[in-house]
Parts: sequence; structure tokens; C-alpha cells
Amino acid sequence: MKLRAIAAAVVAALAATTSACGSAEDTPQDVTMWVYPVVPDEAQHRAFWDEQIEAFTKDHANIDVKVEIYPWAKREESLTTAIAGNKAPDLVYLIPDQIPKFAKLVQPVDQYLPDEVKGDYRDNVRESVTMDGKLMGAPILMGANPLMCNKKVLDAAGVSAPATWDDLLEIAPTLKAKGFDVTNYYADPSATLNQSFYPLLWEAGGDVFDEDGGKVAFDGDAGVRALTFLKTLVDEGYTEKELITGIPAFEQTRLAQGKVACTWQQLPADVESFWGADAITIHPPLKDEEQVGYGSIGALSMMKQSGAKDAAGEWLAFVSSPEVTKAYDLAGNYFSPYQSTGALYTDGPQAEVEKTLDQMVGAPLHDKARDVMGLLAPEIQAALIGQKSPEQALADAAEAANGLIGQ
Amino acid sequence: MTVTAPAPPRPRSGQPPRPRKRYLRPEALLGLGFVLPVFLLFLVFRFGPAIVGVLLSFFEYTLGDSPRFTGFDNFVRMFDDPLFWQALKVTVIFTVLYLPLSIATSLGLALLVRRSFRGSKLFRSVFFLPVITSLVLAATIFTWLFSSSGPLGKLIGDSWLASTTLVIPALVIVSVWSRFGYGMLIILARLQDVPRELEEAALVDGAGPWARFRHVVLPQLRPALFFLAVIETTTSFQVFDLVYVMTGGGPARSSYTLVMALYDQGFQYFDLGYASALGVALFVLTLFVALIQRVLMGRSK
Amino acid sequence: MTNALRPRLGGKILRGVFLAVASVITIFPFYAMIVLSLKPVAAVEFPRSLVPWPIDTSSYDRVLGGGDIPLWTLNTLIYSVVSVVLVLLLSSLAGYAFAKKRFPGKETMFWSFLAMVMVPYHVTLIPLFVLIAEAGGVDTYWGLIVPTLANAQAVFLMRQFIGTLPDELFEAAKIDGASEWRIFATIVLPLCKPILATLGLFVFLWHWNDFLWPLLVGKSTDMRTLTVGIAALQEENVPLNVVLAGATIAFVPIFAAYLVGQRYLTEGVTMSGIKG
Repeated sequence: MKLRAIAAAVVAALAATTSACGSAEDTPQDVTMWVYPVVPDEAQHRAFWDEQIEAFTKDHANIDVKVEIYPWAKREESLTTAIAGNKAPDLVYLIPDQIPKFAKLVQPVDQYLPDEVKGDYRDNVRESVTMDGKLMGAPILMGANPLMCNKKVLDAAGVSAPATWDDLLEIAPTLKAKGFDVTNYYADPSATLNQSFYPLLWEAGGDVFDEDGGKVAFDGDAGVRALTFLKTLVDEGYTEKELITGIPAFEQTRLAQGKVACTWQQLPADVESFWGADAITIHPPLKDEEQVGYGSIGALSMMKQSGAKDAAGEWLAFVSSPEVTKAYDLAGNYFSPYQSTGALYTDGPQAEVEKTLDQMVGAPLHDKARDVMGLLAPEIQAALIGQKSPEQALADAAEAANGLIGQ
Repeated sequence: MTVTAPAPPRPRSGQPPRPRKRYLRPEALLGLGFVLPVFLLFLVFRFGPAIVGVLLSFFEYTLGDSPRFTGFDNFVRMFDDPLFWQALKVTVIFTVLYLPLSIATSLGLALLVRRSFRGSKLFRSVFFLPVITSLVLAATIFTWLFSSSGPLGKLIGDSWLASTTLVIPALVIVSVWSRFGYGMLIILARLQDVPRELEEAALVDGAGPWARFRHVVLPQLRPALFFLAVIETTTSFQVFDLVYVMTGGGPARSSYTLVMALYDQGFQYFDLGYASALGVALFVLTLFVALIQRVLMGRSK
Repeated sequence: MTNALRPRLGGKILRGVFLAVASVITIFPFYAMIVLSLKPVAAVEFPRSLVPWPIDTSSYDRVLGGGDIPLWTLNTLIYSVVSVVLVLLLSSLAGYAFAKKRFPGKETMFWSFLAMVMVPYHVTLIPLFVLIAEAGGVDTYWGLIVPTLANAQAVFLMRQFIGTLPDELFEAAKIDGASEWRIFATIVLPLCKPILATLGLFVFLWHWNDFLWPLLVGKSTDMRTLTVGIAALQEENVPLNVVLAGATIAFVPIFAAYLVGQRYLTEGVTMSGIKG
């Protein structure tokens, strides 16, 4: 019996060590927030939050804020596990297509934010974070993915930037002959479809889900057309093959090496140090039936589990204010979700991107959006590898996805 | 102490059962006290979860909800789920490739280092090194070896892990690399017990090396090989670390194994009931194959 | 007579060649791991990347200087060492009782231990995780360690070994009036040293290399073990030389343990079927 006591003591001691250096027993005035590398440079990102925490603590000495920067990879898995283990943060960065999935666990934030701030969101931003009339998160940033081209590549091949899918296919052989790719496409299932396939689907006039969200819609004519278009690009050798099955380090991609003409999957900040700012040109999203690109929105949501909602609310009101978000958006090369902030960028590629914000569509709002993406991505990859026809791949994905939604 | 498989324990015979009141002696209490900590841990962390795991497969249970009894729904869904069949197919193909290759490698090398000669110890140590290396490390470096920048990728001019046909062979190669040393030791231990006289007698009778191996050594190795086959089948049914790190189940699900499916359902989608059903399927499959192996083994004797 | 089975010269040469080739294949991945970890970021193209010179240690600077790897190493050490100590203690106590004591329920308990070895780990995984999560064990050391302490194979092995020790040893001490606890500590444990070394090494290796459980329980960056951390680095597209520097660091203690305890390890494998 004595030994069990010892064992129990050891376990207790271990547990004590953990809570001493972890975030276990939150006192009501501890606030933990999870964010992701929105500002790619970790040191710079860390410094930003340290500075904000310092400024906030001046007026709120009794609130101890901790901001944890998690990697993008597997972020939902980490969050769900933490929720399951009662270790969820008080606040977490979510994007609109994640919000429905976590809706049951999210505390609406209307009561914590001043009215003048809530009235200032851009319309498309407010829609993206509102469910049943409640604000499910405080938006802090907006992004846009228009078409970005490398002027050096276009000039070297003597072609001009494409405006439509047909243009793209037309200039592709010329570029290929000169050793360039017309575009790039990440088909590895761990890359989000929001940025890769969905824009094509929307451009073809399709959508991921049908009107009432009861079924998927990506297997219609538009989906087949989009995937066939993509497959043509891959089969003809107009895009980098490595990206179909893997995600190489960015500096090893042809895009970084200045061998790709145009992309809708990366942003000026990604390529500036490789291409040089002068080479970057920004164009409206490609047009087929429609002309749309993917617009990302980032929001901070409060977890229902939070044991310090009021303190978390104070911090949320502070960090989602127009002033703080403006600084954050500039640091991360994003745009403001507020109307009153106006243009953040006066010149350079970012200013051009900012002008396209109205042409952007947000990620699909559906509680199974992320799960459906998990089913669709490997099927798209299968089609691009040549294992299945585009029709077959989309039909298979649709069957699995409808089974998932129907439950 | 060199038995290859845990011998089933038997109650010591020959001693008459003692009267029941003797159990109440302090010694009996002490014995219980010594066993209890482990036994309780065992009940809570192994036995209980195993029972609950089976029960849970009859429920729909997800994060933030209470479990709802759904009878055989999870299993019906499983039989309709193309992903389950894909995972089963991948797992079986992997095992079919892995099992003979790993046992043959283990056997071949065990025979080569069987007799002691200068350096034989060193060779044995080298061959055991991958066994103690974590699969995550193995996966990390082999990912490069198989990539289009690595030597094995250059050999075929493309990345193995990007090919729907070569991805499983690549995973098999890594698995064999990491496990053959273990099988080699198991076989070696058994080889030491093969009576020298038998082989020498065969030699005198004019039997060549192959005949000696086939008719003298191999029959003696049968129990060890059976043990290995069972262990390695279980290992390959449960392959996860390598797949998770090297391919994530891709490309296009062509290396998506059962445990990957279980992990996805359980910890990606938090569909805990369905994930438990997949666990039960894995269990049944393991039992089934162990049974077949036992029957085959018994017959060939 | 004993030389009759020795291979002739030709056979010896052939055997040597085979073994040399097999050794090179076995060692090659380790060589590649170490050499590539000593290359600059972009130098990954074979064959140039496998030429050892020149050496570039920037990956190690990045890994050791303030990165997460030192913390992950500490986590892995805590996970492995605490588990080894507790498993050895618990299983030698239980093994002693199973081998030398009579008490009610002994056979039932023992057989239930053995039967559970047959049930695949993955069947228990989901409920085990829910249990630990509900108890608040996610992202804690105890959540990581405690569920792994119920090690049936260890108990079995200890029982086997202690069963071979002659009863007279204990009887004599008992007549001298030594307490049971004292007998265990001063007679049983010292006699068990070889088996404890074997078992300890196996448990250490198993925990050091464990992946799935720490992956589930150690969710935050601060609670990762080395295996989970290295897998995550690869996922996060950290340059290969840095990932491999981390891998090399994770490999060093294992290699050292192997050099020191090789005899115990190989004995352990042949003694029973403990999984490596």
C-alpha cells in the first residue's frame, strides 16, 4: 500500500510540475489566446504580441494574457484535442469555414465589442462571421488572392498576363517552350482547397455546397470543367509536377525560382524576396463564367469553455480594435476588415491587391466544410495523377461527402 | 532462459491446495498489495478501454455530445465506405509484400552470421541498429532517400512516394530495414539450439548445403518462424508511424492504411464511434489471420 | 570434427561480401542522416549532398540555440526515465507476488494480464484518449506517462525470472525476521539486476521512440516529445538539414544506450518476444 502512496505522490508531483509550466489551472484572470503564423517571421510576430500585451496590461493589471503561436499544420486537430481535454484556449483564431464546425463550442462575442466597432465591419466580413444573427468571432484581418504574375517571366516569353482560362491555355505552350510554367498548383491534400481548387470551381460558375447545404455541388458541370482544365495544365506539363504530390520547401519551388508566370495561390509577400518587388504585377482573378478569387478572413473567437470570459472579452475588444488590427494587418501583409480604416497601402503590389478585395469570395460556410475538403482533396489528386477521370474523382468524392453530410 | 515465445504459465502442480483460511494470512494480503497497483492500472488503462472500445463501436459519439446507441450502424456504414475498403486493401497489400520479404531477409542474414567468426558480433550489432531506431527517424531520412533528390529516387528518375504504385513498396522497404534485425535475433537464438550432430550426420550422408538447410535446419526453425510470422503480421497490420510521417496516406489514398483511417476518424473528425468500429475491424482481422496461420502451421507439421 | 561445418575459403569470401553489402545498406540511412544534417539549407541533391565536406553546422545552431529541440529532449527524457523507473518498480513487485506469493484471485489476474497482450493497442486507443482527456491529462506529463505503466509483458517477464530464484533464499531471511518489504528490497531486487537491466532498456527504447500516444496527448508545442516534434517539423516544411539535425540529436542517446546495453538487449529479444 505504501508503494501506491509513493506512486500517487510521484504522479501528483509530476502533475504539479506540469501545471507550474503549463496553462493547466487557469485562475479567472488568465487569458490564453491561440494564433497562427499570420506574420510569417516568428520573432516579429512574437514581438508584436508582446508589445500588445504590455500595452493592454497597463490598463488591466489584473489580467494575465498569454498568446501562443501554433503552426498552421494540423491546427484543427490540436484545437479539437485541446477542447476534448478541457485545455482549450479562451480565444482562438478561426477562419469562416471553421466557425460552423465549432459553432457549438463558440461563445458569441457581440456583448464584448463596442457598437461603433461592430457597425464598421465591411459587409462581406460581417456576413462571414455571423451565424443566426450572432457574431461568432471578432474579425481582425482580410486577405485577397487575385492573380499575381512575374513580369520578368512574361517579358522573357513575350506574352501578356492572362485574363481568362482560355488566355492561360493560349500562352502556356509559349512559356513552356522557353522553360517556364504558366502557373502552379498545389495538389497535396494538406494544402487548403480554399486557395487552390475552389477559386477555379467558382470561376467555372460552381460552388462547393448546394443552396441549402444539404448536398455537395462540386460534382456538377462546373466542377468537372474546373478539374478538367486543371488536369490539362498538369498533363501538358504546364505546371510543376512536384507540387502534385508534395509540398517542397518554398525556396525549392519553381515559383520561388522565378520559373512560373502567374499564380493565384501565393501572395506578393511570399515571392517578393525571390522575384524582387519590381517583377510582381497584380491582376484581377481569372475569368471563366465568373471572375472571383478567394478572400480569406481571420477572426478571433471565444470558446464557451473559457473560465475567464469577461477578461477574455476585454482583451478581445482591445486586440480587435481598428488601431491594433491595422498594425497587425500591416505586419502580416493583410488588409483591414474595417470600412473606416481605408486603404492600408498606398503603392506597390499590396495596394493593387487591396483594390481587388470586392472580387473575393469567402470560404464555404458549412459545418462539414473542412471534412468535405478532407475527402475531396485526395480525389482531386487522384485525377491529376491520372488514377481517375475528373468525372469519376468528383463523383466518388461527392458520394463520400454526401454520406458525411447526411449523417 | 532462451525460449522464443512466452511459455504459458502453469499453476505449480504437485502441491495440494491449501485451506482457504491460509489466504487471510498477512502474506496473502501482502501478495495482493504488491500486485494491486499494476492490476488497477491495468484495469483502468487496458482492460476497461478495451471493453469500452468494443462497446463504443455500437454508438454514435462525437466531441461535445453524449453517446447515442445506434446498433450496427457504424458497421453498416463501414461496409459501404469506399475509404474503409481502400484502407483494408492497402493494409493487406502491405502485409503480403512485407511478411515474406522481412522473414526471408531475417532468415538469410541469421544463416550468414550463424557461426561465430571474426567480426560476426559486429555484423549482428549493425543489423540490430535499425530495430532500436525510431520509425519517425527512419521515416524522415527515407523520405529523402526516396524523393526525387535522393539516391533511390534518382535510380528510377522520380519520387517513389509520389507514385501510386511505388509508394507501398517504398514503405515496405523501410519497414523491412527497420525490423529485419529483430527477426534475425529470434532465428539466431533458435539456430543455436539446432543440434550440431544432426547437421554433421547429414554432411556425412553427403547432403549439400541446400539439402542440409531444407531437411535439417528448417524443420527445427519452424516454431521460431511461426512466432515471427505472427508478430510481424500484427506489426504490419498496425503500421502507422511510417505512413503518417512519410505519406500521410497519399498520394490519392494509395498508402492509406487501417490505422491511418482510424486516426483520421478518431482524431481528425472526432467521429469516435466509427473510429472504434474500425478498431474492432482491425482486431477481428488480426485474430482471423492468426487463426489461419495457426491452421496452416498445424497442417504442414 | 567441429570444423566439418565450417565454410571453405570460397564460401567465406562470398559470405563476407554478402555481409559487407548488407551492412552498408543498413548503415547508409544513418550516414545520410548525419551528413545531410551538416549541409546548408538548399544542398539536398544527390549525390553531391552526400559528400561529407565541407561541413556546415548552421542547422545545429538553429536547433540547439533557443529552438524547441532542447525542450522536446527534456520531455522525452522525462517520459522515458520516469516510465522506466515506475514500470520496473511496479512490475517487479507484481512479478514477485505472482511468482512467490499465494493470494486469492492470483490465477485470474495473471491470465487476464496475458489475455490483454492479444488485444491490439488501437482498440483501446479511443477510450483511453477520452479517459485521459476527461481527466484533464491532455498536455500533461502524467497523462503521457500513467497509461503506459500497465505493462503486461514486463510483469510477465519479472514473474518468469523471479520464479527461477530458489525459495530458500527468501525463507532464510524470513526466519531471520526480515520484513517482506525488506526481503523485496534487499534480496529480490539485487538478484533481479540482469533482468531489470534488460527490461529497463526495452522500456526506455519503447518510450523514447513512441509516437502515437505522445502525438495524441502532447498537443502543444511545449509538450511534444522528440518523435512528435520531428514529425511536426517535417510537416511544417522546416528545411531538411534542420529536421535531420533534430533527428540526429534524438538518435544519439539511443545509440549510446545501445552501445552500453547491447548485451542485455539481444538477450532480451531472445528471452521472450518483447517488441523492440
